Amino acid sequence: MKQENIRNFSIIAHIDHGKSTLADRILEITGAVSKREAKEQLLDNMDIERERGITIKLNQVQLQYTYKGEEYYLHLIDTPGHVDFSYEVSRSLAACEGAILVVDAAQGVEAQTLANLYLAMEHDLTIIPVINKIDLPNADIEKVKKELINELGFKEEEIILTSAKNGTGIKELVEAVIERISAPKGDKNMPLQGLIFDSFFDSYKGVVVTTRIMNGEVKVGDTIRFMETGATYEVTELCVMTPKEKQLQKLSCGEVGQVVASIKAIQDVRVGDTFTLDKNPASLPLPGYQPMKSMVYCGIYPIESTKFDDLRDALDKLKLNDASLVYEPETSKALGFGFRCGFLGLLHMDIIEERIEREFHIDLIATSPSVIYQVTLTDGSEIEIDAPTKLPDRQLIKEIREPYVKTSIFTPSEYIGPIMELCQNKRGEYVGMDYLDTTRVNIHYDLPLSEIIYDFFDRLKSSTKGYASFDYEIAGYRKSDLVRLDILLNGELVDAFSTIVHKDFAYTRGRAIVEKLRSIIPRQLFEVPIQASIGAKIIARENIKALRKDVLAKCYGGDITRKRKLLEKQKEGKKRMKQVGSVEIPQEAFLSVLTMDDK
Amino acid sequence: MKSMYIHIPFCKSICSYCDFCKMYYDEKMVLTYLDALKKEIDSVYQKEVLQTLYIGGGTPSHLSKPCLTKLFKIIDTFPFEENYEFTFECNIEDLSLLLLIFLKEHRVNRLSIGVESFLEKNLNFLNRYHTKEDVFLKIALAKQIGFSNISIDLMYALPGEHLDDLEEDIDFALSLDVSHISLYSLIIEEHTKIQIENIKPISDELDLKMYQLIEKQLEHAGYVHYEVSNYAKKGYESIHNLTYWNNNTYYGFGLGASGYIDNVRYSNTRSLNHYVEGNYRYQEEKISQELEMSNEMILGLRKLVGISLDDFYKKYGKRVEEVYAIQDLLDAKNLEIEKGYLRIPKDKIYVSNAILVRFV
Repeated sequence: MKQENIRNFSIIAHIDHGKSTLADRILEITGAVSKREAKEQLLDNMDIERERGITIKLNQVQLQYTYKGEEYYLHLIDTPGHVDFSYEVSRSLAACEGAILVVDAAQGVEAQTLANLYLAMEHDLTIIPVINKIDLPNADIEKVKKELINELGFKEEEIILTSAKNGTGIKELVEAVIERISAPKGDKNMPLQGLIFDSFFDSYKGVVVTTRIMNGEVKVGDTIRFMETGATYEVTELCVMTPKEKQLQKLSCGEVGQVVASIKAIQDVRVGDTFTLDKNPASLPLPGYQPMKSMVYCGIYPIESTKFDDLRDALDKLKLNDASLVYEPETSKALGFGFRCGFLGLLHMDIIEERIEREFHIDLIATSPSVIYQVTLTDGSEIEIDAPTKLPDRQLIKEIREPYVKTSIFTPSEYIGPIMELCQNKRGEYVGMDYLDTTRVNIHYDLPLSEIIYDFFDRLKSSTKGYASFDYEIAGYRKSDLVRLDILLNGELVDAFSTIVHKDFAYTRGRAIVEKLRSIIPRQLFEVPIQASIGAKIIARENIKALRKDVLAKCYGGDITRKRKLLEKQKEGKKRMKQVGSVEIPQEAFLSVLTMDDK
Repeated sequence: MKSMYIHIPFCKSICSYCDFCKMYYDEKMVLTYLDALKKEIDSVYQKEVLQTLYIGGGTPSHLSKPCLTKLFKIIDTFPFEENYEFTFECNIEDLSLLLLIFLKEHRVNRLSIGVESFLEKNLNFLNRYHTKEDVFLKIALAKQIGFSNISIDLMYALPGEHLDDLEEDIDFALSLDVSHISLYSLIIEEHTKIQIENIKPISDELDLKMYQLIEKQLEHAGYVHYEVSNYAKKGYESIHNLTYWNNNTYYGFGLGASGYIDNVRYSNTRSLNHYVEGNYRYQEEKISQELEMSNEMILGLRKLVGISLDDFYKKYGKRVEEVYAIQDLLDAKNLEIEKGYLRIPKDKIYVSNAILVRFV
């Protein structure tokens, strides 16, 4: 493979702008898959990805295309679209020389279009702007062109119009990739530097590393060393996805592929790290590796306490292709043994929980998510808190600080009112507003991160009919008047329900949680009081009345089968409940605390 | 084998709440059915001496004279124990002097009569069309003919029913002075008229109050509350139904009937065509010891007296506490042990499912 005939590129877009469908069409036109094989969104191979229509894990595929008599190798590197995964996006962009920027012909430029474009520009990538979905009846190509030219600085002749749905413009796009994006630089005679931009666990092969070779080359049989962790392994297999797996003897400078080396220790491989040859190592790793910083923490517990070890295995395996997931064991009085897990954001948290339940068949209970609080104690010492239960007594606390984020909310101007109201309710601080044009506004607010991790995104979508989108970046810590809100069931504190809230919001939230729990927790054989408290002070109370009637009156001519079926169904329902003290709590109750409607 | 149930699935009209196996009465069909019924009984029943026989429906009392004669031609050959109990289910409308005499002559010694209610609005809702005057008249007649063991069924917790309505029903029922009363809280079953019409149940709170009122009034009148929905004067508990609740074996014959013989629980087809072709069984389930013990608990704990711990041990060679973890249930007073009997306390019977799930 001639290095000058390789093109490494990504597709970047705002969520839902048709990135995956566009990738499918490129696969088709290059003959990698026939139309018949092309399941919708071929690159997204996980069920959840397909169902949610979003890409979580990046993937790579090698395509061959003959252009002006030359054979070209195009490596398409897929990237996640959500703000939670920006580190992974940045690592995969580092493996590319160019990127296709997809903008929806009806929606135009959106928050993540910009965020991803800036990331791509930071990596000095050649950008090919594409207006997609031009077949839509409400496509406004001229308006979107103007945005690309006026706001993002592209030239009109650079813009390619496509419809991934019916295949328009795809050939032109592929040829633009060859024409405009430069061949990979780097020197195959230099010591090996392979950038790890993804990895996953295969039960037969161990950890599979997805890499872009930046310098040098690697062969089957070589001993490689991971520069961050120092671990060494012998390469047993090299391959590239076309998208079918194709075995190779070596991977050279500029190429993209997978490395198998019987790696069993998951923690040895970290996304963003560099591997080199053990014998002739590179002097420095590639720039840009950073350990992930979790933004949101929550406790994850198996409903069946016997599944704790299974849960550990599941997390270990997920960690492998998700460097950003962090976890350590913790114990809850209410829930037993589990893990405190750190996530990049709420979506990330959601996806991990869902994957554990779906791929590993472990029913979970997750506690309310928490951010990291900084606490100065009265003795002057500083601590960081990632779980409400770890917050010390109030009299020991001098000051609590919480993380704030700067948000940019892009919205059609008619929704300015509802958005500002939402932000005010979320303790937001108004910063300013930019008009992008006469109808579109970018509103800036500083908001506590803890408010965002509740239900901000859902509320934003619902109060703007789905038109607004938002993006945020961490903007440091600020002092806040925060308290721990506890929930007691039948007089016993259920630590899994504890949250840290602003004092002014404590009463409303306590009230709301108590009411919600009353509606979710089924009647038990005895009356169960639900109380919300701050310290020793009860601020809200509701009662779940005792079960009144749960009996089968008739005896059905002695036919016990029906009665058994009914009881079996009832028992099945109980399995999804966690016994806390003497009270049985359904799984949804723990989730519901996350999605409180503040009145 | 001491007990037998025979199902007669034919009715003159269909009650709005009924989900038993039933169809409209048709003389020719009934005669064909009785031929098949005889074949089924002959193929299984070995003429063991019976302690109890129960003929239920449907509406067995609606059979015409020729059909009744045909049915009893089968039954007349059954040997009974000395203290046998032979129940025949009747509707108020069907109770006539002739029928009662016929039943009496053919060894029936217990009548189970579907009274359901004395109030017109309730009877209309249930699609039953007798009057309370009919009830008094017919039951007096039955007593006159010599039936001393009479059970009546009543329904409560009907939509729109108030405690006062129920109290009136109870008063009328008590004034009948019968030996046995079953009171069923309305269940809105799948595929019944009331379910299709989307009738909503009354609140659990009111339902419980009704249940408590019934218990109070009937116990005051001298009836023993011996099973979730059943009350009897002392010595008049239904022996046949106790067979079910004691997890004992019994034959079940006829369309849609269920039975329990030789460690197999079975239920018959509900298709008349299949049945008359001789394909009686719909499903059979071999009962393992584990399942048998579980059934013993689920059924036995319906009785207020509960389960004899000794009998359980004798039957299974294991103690209840070895098989099931019940200490926490005892601690929480969801179960209690008294005089060698394990039972659900009286005030928890109405939420017994929440306790019984532990034995599934």
